[in-house]
Amino acid sequence: MLLLELFWSFAKIGLTSFGGLSMVPLINSEMVGHGWMTSNEVSDIVAIAEMTPGPLGLNCATFAGMRTAGLLGAIAANLGVLFPTLTICLLAAVFFQKFKDGKRMQQIMIGVRPVCMGMILAVMVTMSLSNYVYDSTVSPVAIVIGVLGAIGLYKKLSIPLVLLLSAILGIAFVR
Amino acid sequence: MLINSERKEGIRLKKTKSLKTLTTLFAQFFILGLCTFGGGWSIVAQMQKMYVEKEKTLTQEELLDITSVGRSLPGTMIGNVACLYGYRVAGVPGSFACILGMILPPMIILSVITFFYTKFQNNIYVARAMVGVRAAVVPIIGSALATLWKSAFKWKVCYLAALGALLLNLFWNVNCIILVLMGIVFGLVLCELKERKEASNHAAS
Repeated sequence: MLLLELFWSFAKIGLTSFGGLSMVPLINSEMVGHGWMTSNEVSDIVAIAEMTPGPLGLNCATFAGMRTAGLLGAIAANLGVLFPTLTICLLAAVFFQKFKDGKRMQQIMIGVRPVCMGMILAVMVTMSLSNYVYDSTVSPVAIVIGVLGAIGLYKKLSIPLVLLLSAILGIAFVR
Repeated sequence: MLINSERKEGIRLKKTKSLKTLTTLFAQFFILGLCTFGGGWSIVAQMQKMYVEKEKTLTQEELLDITSVGRSLPGTMIGNVACLYGYRVAGVPGSFACILGMILPPMIILSVITFFYTKFQNNIYVARAMVGVRAAVVPIIGSALATLWKSAFKWKVCYLAALGALLLNLFWNVNCIILVLMGIVFGLVLCELKERKEASNHAAS
């Protein structure tokens, strides 16, 4: 029964959110409401989710599931978060594959692609504000690592390698 | 392992070939899943490198389309992107292979972290490493943006749509699905206007 509850709770979170930090308020109310986590734990898990690979929703699901019902709980909660992907998105995939060469679809995409560029820019701005600014002062070390990362990418280093090098630089120079 | 799979291929060529596609998809998305720091946008950068530049199995436009569709549907973006890409390559089994590959690394890592929850939180070296990793995430996303940039704007008017999306998202917190819906309307209206203009030009000449 707990497994079903976990699944349903996270399915709701998945269905009503569009990823990222917009999920936090809902996750908070679901977790605290069921007594699965305290509010403090929710903010901890947000920090952990940002530090580790994987989207926030999936990471919260694993954390809450593991703590309440072990591995099975984690699986149930993950399936819950993925519920919209496995249903709506799969349908969309079928639909999109069929119509992607149609004239209307082409026209739609002419408008959607630039919007996508704008959304990526917005993400970069908000991320810069949190990733280069700590305790409301700009961190010079973080900026230098960012610039080095950009140079590395320009020189065609692979992304995992850039991430690894940045982690090493962070351990060595961040105080 | 390798010899074994080659031998199998000789016996049941077709079945193994599709199985091979699925395992490749799974392996590729497993690695992508390991490196999705920063909310999933960096995955676009990695897919761009892997599929557009190296394998050339995907065009810039197609990657953008997959990303925009994935972003505008409910659920986690990278799950949706994995689902869409997997379906494109190998149908429904492809979708499942990609999603599974994508979610396993975070699931395993988080399961371990849940056990060492407090220790991990307060470890100074982990915190320092993460400052470095986070600093690199912005240029990674930027590199994806830079390469996708050219193919995103068909006409100059399209820059307006990008600017509008940026401002609306940044300052008024407008939801991504609304932005994408606006993009759809923008594209349709724009093409309609262009067509009318061309038609009237033809009529004039």
